[in-house]
Amino acid sequence: MPEVTKEQARKFYETMCTIRCFEESVKKDFLNGEIPGFVHLYIGEEAIATGVCAALRKTDFVESTHRGHGHCIAKGADVNKMMAEIFGKIDGLCKGKGGSMHVADFSVGMLGANGVVGGGYNLATGAALASKMVLKNDNVSVVFFGDGASNRGTFHEAANVAAAWKLPVVFVNEMNCWASTTPYRTTTAVENISDRAHGYNMPGVIVDGQNVFEVYAAACEAVERARRGEGPTFIEAKTYRIEGHFVGDPEKYRKKEETMQIFHDTDPLTHFLGILPEGIEFTQAELDEILAAARAKVAAAKEYAVGCEYPDESEFYKDVYVD
Amino acid sequence: MRKITFSEATREAMAEEMEKYPEVFVMGEDLARQGGIFGQFKGLPDEFPGRVIDTPISETFIVGGGVGAALGGARPVVDMHFADFIGVCMDEVLNQMAKIRYMFGGQAKIPLVLRAPDGLAGGGAAQHSQSVESFFIHIPGIKVVAPSNPYDAKMVLKAAIECDDPVLYFENKVLYKETGEVPEKEDEVPYEIGKARVEREGKDVTIVSYSIGMKNARAAADQLAKDGIQAEVIDLITLSPWDKETVLNSVKKTHRLCLVSECVKQGGAMAEVAATVAEEALEYLDAPILRYGAPFTPIPFAPTLEKLYRVYPDDLVKGIKGVL
Amino acid sequence: MATEVLMPKLGLTMTEGTIDEWKKNVGDTVKKGEILFSVETDKLTNDVEAEADGVLLKILVPAGETVACKTLIGWLGAEGEAVPDGAGAAPAAAAEAPAAPAAAVSAAAAPAAAGTAHAAGAYVPATPYAKKLAKEKGFDLAAIPATGYKGVVVARDVLGFTPAAAAPAAPAVKASPLAEKVAADLGIDLKDVKAAHGRVLAEDLLRYIAETREKAPDSEATAEREEVKPMSGMRKAIAKNMQNSHMTSPTVTFNLGIDMTEMKRYREQLKAKEIKVSYTDLLVKFVSKALTEFPLLNCSVEDNKIIYKHYVNMGVAVALDNGLVVPNITDADKKSLTEISAEVKELAKQAREGKLPPEKLRGGTFTITNLGMYGIESFSPIINQPEVAILGVNTMEDKVVVRNGEMCIRPIMNLSLTADHRVVDGSVAAQFLQRVKSLMENPALILA
Repeated sequence: MPEVTKEQARKFYETMCTIRCFEESVKKDFLNGEIPGFVHLYIGEEAIATGVCAALRKTDFVESTHRGHGHCIAKGADVNKMMAEIFGKIDGLCKGKGGSMHVADFSVGMLGANGVVGGGYNLATGAALASKMVLKNDNVSVVFFGDGASNRGTFHEAANVAAAWKLPVVFVNEMNCWASTTPYRTTTAVENISDRAHGYNMPGVIVDGQNVFEVYAAACEAVERARRGEGPTFIEAKTYRIEGHFVGDPEKYRKKEETMQIFHDTDPLTHFLGILPEGIEFTQAELDEILAAARAKVAAAKEYAVGCEYPDESEFYKDVYVD
Repeated sequence: MRKITFSEATREAMAEEMEKYPEVFVMGEDLARQGGIFGQFKGLPDEFPGRVIDTPISETFIVGGGVGAALGGARPVVDMHFADFIGVCMDEVLNQMAKIRYMFGGQAKIPLVLRAPDGLAGGGAAQHSQSVESFFIHIPGIKVVAPSNPYDAKMVLKAAIECDDPVLYFENKVLYKETGEVPEKEDEVPYEIGKARVEREGKDVTIVSYSIGMKNARAAADQLAKDGIQAEVIDLITLSPWDKETVLNSVKKTHRLCLVSECVKQGGAMAEVAATVAEEALEYLDAPILRYGAPFTPIPFAPTLEKLYRVYPDDLVKGIKGVL
Repeated sequence: MATEVLMPKLGLTMTEGTIDEWKKNVGDTVKKGEILFSVETDKLTNDVEAEADGVLLKILVPAGETVACKTLIGWLGAEGEAVPDGAGAAPAAAAEAPAAPAAAVSAAAAPAAAGTAHAAGAYVPATPYAKKLAKEKGFDLAAIPATGYKGVVVARDVLGFTPAAAAPAAPAVKASPLAEKVAADLGIDLKDVKAAHGRVLAEDLLRYIAETREKAPDSEATAEREEVKPMSGMRKAIAKNMQNSHMTSPTVTFNLGIDMTEMKRYREQLKAKEIKVSYTDLLVKFVSKALTEFPLLNCSVEDNKIIYKHYVNMGVAVALDNGLVVPNITDADKKSLTEISAEVKELAKQAREGKLPPEKLRGGTFTITNLGMYGIESFSPIINQPEVAILGVNTMEDKVVVRNGEMCIRPIMNLSLTADHRVVDGSVAAQFLQRVKSLMENPALILA
């Protein structure tokens, strides 16, 4: 396990708090009708994006999902511009043309959320191919995906190629137990999604997705292995989708009390003190202060987003093509 | 002037672009070891070791990986073996390569070329003979080209590789072995994607086509000329975004329009041309628009049936004479 | 915003009305409450007041025509205001209303030419480009013979079209339709003609013609190369009659090709029985029969009254060395073919010998004039007043036609019917001609 400093741990907590506050704010504003379209929240899964992205460089790539706010924040996107994007404003990361499901920040290697479930594997693997075989640099690509997405054929094509050519890819499975309204057990042949890694001759590891330190350790190992040219790793992070599939989901397929019990038992923020590595200590007051700062940061982001303009007609035909 | 085949012309284009840009590479099925199933990659693997990549039979990876490689900073050329197989990776075309630039607010460029050999080749039947370009002119965000002769094949492919937008390059299987004049490199005139060419001037009717359809267009124009009818022949070359102006100007001159392609006529690329002329130049038409394409059936295998699937120059000649 | 002028519904039972008189001309200023026009119903004549102040912008239904109640008959509005789009088209309620005279005038300009002629008022299939050209040139599409695919008017038809008497599409000068037509025929620019009462009427034209003749310079050089001769009595009569006819009747000419196969066979059969008849004889017989079924073609017009004739006196134009005469066969509808044939021969003989009894030159109800012997394919004869229609007979020629989907050669003869649109609407004339055609193509029907 890599050494983690207190400063790093503080940073982990700070990132998780920012994601949590961001999602809570988005949820409230969506329900108030301030945000168009639909949004998918990452509440309860913050430790995965935080731990994985902490193992990456700015120049490394992330392919995200429709539930991608956490990945974007963890990879270092500007929270103000990200919020503005979710509000559909011209000052958003994508000039208001993408929204929640298509948020991207190429300046920090966040190559985009993807509205198509399972659409990211090939993109990440292709980016890794470019790095290793064409441009000969040591950039690593990470692709996040859920247990539902692991049933897409694209996973198998990408995993095979990545392993066959030892491409620098890390497959990060957020095993949150639900594919929209369908429990993974009813549609998936394997007990653990990472069992599939063996079919492609790549390491498959299972981590506690609620433990940011455990996730970070696994990610560091996988990223270093990829950078060394030894090929892809499959990380299965066990977690649970606390929110509905989307904001407004009536969740008729499960019991709210059960979900809340799981959240109570596994919330990566409330249990942070209990999982600190040896030698690192925080007081609750310290943590409260970090959370308050994150809340203030997100409130400012919301204020910024509300203050921005919507794109005008002149934007309409821009960027369909480069020339 | 030297004469080379269409296939050789595309190979030259690849070689010149790979020489010029180290970030250009090509991947697809059966390219490196055998030079492509139509010989269009012959010699490239030796010239550019490691940059001609044989992939597994994984079309979603070939195209999606190409898109990812473009995002990662490369300039990929990906090969579809047979154009029919784009059906396997439609999401990568429709939802990924075509959308990424726009939906991310212009942050990304996708300088990717998807090469797709298409068309009837004699017995290829339903899954190896189609001309599928029409699906893609319906998708904003990608460009669609389909050259009709060796010189264009080379210049259009070079332009496609240098283009920062995703380009679908349809190359007809029958045209591969056809020869044509191609100037030496120093005398080449670069092609600008989106431009059509008036290949032959005339005053009585405008015949518009592209790719293999141009053979019908040229042959019909020759036959009509024998009867004193002067057809203007336009090679669209780029199907999306297409050169409306050249077609409209021609129709304003000839007042008659005949469209021909090898793809299925219903909903075909030429329907867009017909509709645009009807929208923007109806008052210049002195005859109904004639449109020739394949019938609304899958492509049959038996030679007797495949014959019925094709369009012939006589069809155009007869139709044009009927509205003169 | 222009105000519609509608045919009023004056009482519970009124369904249609006839414009008796427009009390104002187009261009005149009208005050609300002023009498604008009078309407004749089956009961009485009513004056109708203007419902708004303004200028009478357009008259769509001229005096003498009958239209359904609520039909748009004109427009009131501000000076110079444009009449709303589609104002010329009759509303659905008046779909069967007679075609406006303006259309009839231009349709009468149909020249003698090969190609499909179109009935006045019918939709004219034409390519968009042909329509554009026709609009630019001010041609009425209906007047242009079509030679395109499926009988469509194509650009070359418009480009090659010379209007025989095309009225200017949009005369800058206000003039009556008749004055417009005459001016166009004579090549007179209406701008040169002074109107006595607001708009140029036929009488203004006549005055203008007389004045300009007087003023014409009498150049000696010209005189040497020309010769002046007084008109003969017959020429004067013809000139007067023709001019009178032209000024009286707004005409439309309709052309229709007849397949003469059966007619030829019929004639051969008669010949075999030693009955020798000419095509003129046959036409007299067949047209007379048709006329008994179409009383409107066999009437005359007098002072807003239509006089229907329950007899057919069939005039047959006979060309003479110095002119022509039109003796008529009295009660042709009641005579046998043999009788007709004998009488036609006798009349022609008498005409050539100048021995026609005067009563034979009076009382005709319809005229046939035959130029077929000269190879003429189509022409627009002038009505022999006070009749309302005249049938021009053209040459019979073998033509390639399509029968049952196959090309074959048939003897085709065109008939050119000129009719007075005051009483004979396009559809009536067309139906009459159709009837003549069906009779001649099925001679057995004559017995029915």
